[in-house]
Parts: sequence; structure tokens; C-alpha cells
Amino acid sequence: MGISRDSRHKRNATGAKRAQYRKKRKFELGRQAANTKLGAKRIHEVRTRGGNRKFRAMRLDSGNFSWGSEAISRKARIVAVVYNASNNELVRTGTLVKNAIVQVDATPFRQWYESHYAVPIGARKGKGAVKTESEEVSKARSNHVQRKIESRKAEAKVDPALDHQFAAGRLYACISSRPGQSGRADGYILEGHELAFYIRKLKK
Amino acid sequence: MSEQIEKAFQKQQGIFQNTKVTGKKSVKNNRWYKEVGLGFKTPKEAIEGHYIDKKCPFTGDVSIRGRILTGEIISTKMKRTIIIRREYLHFISKYNRYEKRHKNLAAHISPCFIGVQQGDS
Repeated sequence: MGISRDSRHKRNATGAKRAQYRKKRKFELGRQAANTKLGAKRIHEVRTRGGNRKFRAMRLDSGNFSWGSEAISRKARIVAVVYNASNNELVRTGTLVKNAIVQVDATPFRQWYESHYAVPIGARKGKGAVKTESEEVSKARSNHVQRKIESRKAEAKVDPALDHQFAAGRLYACISSRPGQSGRADGYILEGHELAFYIRKLKK
Repeated sequence: MSEQIEKAFQKQQGIFQNTKVTGKKSVKNNRWYKEVGLGFKTPKEAIEGHYIDKKCPFTGDVSIRGRILTGEIISTKMKRTIIIRREYLHFISKYNRYEKRHKNLAAHISPCFIGVQQGDS
């Protein structure tokens, strides 16, 4: 491989040059970076120290994203990489890494919300005709389920910033897993102050 | 939001900030802090402040263990770090006398300590 993680090739704290006195060892190895891109799923398995495995995701297109304030997670399609605090190059090439801000397909969350609260979300305003209510919102329900929905009405309010995103069909999310280590791109939907912070960064 | 200077959103790892406000609970400073032990009191600024410092002993991800050293501050010009100087006497047995020596040490200083100046101990 050639990539090693030893410190023996570096100078001392005093600045002295260290002589080489042994070859590279296997426990000092480093591997090529994954640089996982967006695309049809492609994951390579790697045998690591101790016989354990790591799943190097080379290409991913979906992940398990959680909506924190509602405490649910849904598998959603990743649409695009939008911001990376470390390197703009990673945004340009669309590389998925931990703490990258991505846009995620909103439909699984919209479906859950409408079936949980029976209230439409992300309604587009001022575009002419009123959109007909989706099937989820207006379907017939049993008495028991209807009562549950009534009791949830008080908590059904959603932040307007999120509502805009639902109208556009895309939510901003942050990746919180390490795709090159676990083979998955999971994350959480941005809300509140974090969302405001990143939207401001994106506008610039 | 004055403490969000970096390019990534600064927050305390592990506390969830976006729980739904259902109207009864007021919006407070949702902050995590801990007691460090060894008789050190956590400052009020650490509990009520808004800074995010993952290397702060009270609000960050480090633990205090090992020896406790003291010294005099000689420089506070770096961001969140100080240089302290520790003086000591070294014994020379041939002449039965001491000589003065010192070592400088760079230490992290948490933003909860305000008004720290040169010459403090």
C-alpha cells in the first residue's frame, strides 16, 4: 500500500532527524481514502486488524435520516451535497463524509407526518388553485385512530423554515456517520439554530 | 449567535438542541456542564455562558486526571491558551548549593475564565 501511519519518519521534538532502523510494520498501515460519491450503491468490504471488517462505501445514494424533534427516522434518498465546512472541493465533487450537509428527499418524512397528524405539510402558497389534499390526509379512519389524531393536534406545528423545505421537496440534513468506515451515510435533519446557520452559509 | 465563528456549526456534542417547544417550558440555555472533582468549583460563567469549547474541563469532552501543576502566567496572547512559567531550584551536590531553573508550559484556558492577565497565578 505504501501509506504508513508511523512517526518514525518524522523529525524529533528537538528537530533532530531520526535514522531509519526498521522497516514499515503492518500495524502502522494506512489505507486509501474512500471518497464516497453519490451514485448506485457500491460497498467494498475490508478485512481489518483482528479479523474484523470495515465497509468502505465507494458510492451511496440513500441513508437513514432522523428527524430529531419528531423522534423518527426514515430511509431517504440523498440528492446532492451542498456544503462542507472543511473543503469546498468535496462539495464540487459531491463527496459524502461525516458532517457534510446534504439535501435529502422529503417524501418519506412528508408521508409519515401526514399519516401521523393528518395535516398537510409544505403547502405551496399563492400558486393559483389550491392543491387537493393528499390521499394520506383525507383517507377514512377508524374511530380509535381518529381520536389519537385529535390528541396529537397540539404538537403538530412545524417550524416555517422546515415547512419551506417540505414545499420544495428537499430537506437539509447533516451526515453523522462515517461512510468510509461503516458503509452507511446516516444523519439527522437540520433544525433550529443549526439550520439557520447553514442556510446563511449557503446564501453567501 | 456570536460564538459561531468557525465554518461548521459549533455545539456541545451529545445534547440535542431542537426539542419541540410545547409552550409550557421556556426557552432556556440548554447546556451541559460537569463537576470536575478535586475540589474545583465549576464557575458560574461555565454554566450560564454561551461559549462552545470542546477542550473546556467543565463544558467539554476532557477529564482532569493526573497531577495538578501551578505556575505564573507570562503570556495570554494566544487564542484560548496561555503560557505559564514554573520556577524551581535544582540542587548541585558538589557545591551544596541550589540554582534557579524554570520551564514554560502551554496550557489551554477555557473561555469561562474572563479577565485573566499576565502575572496571575
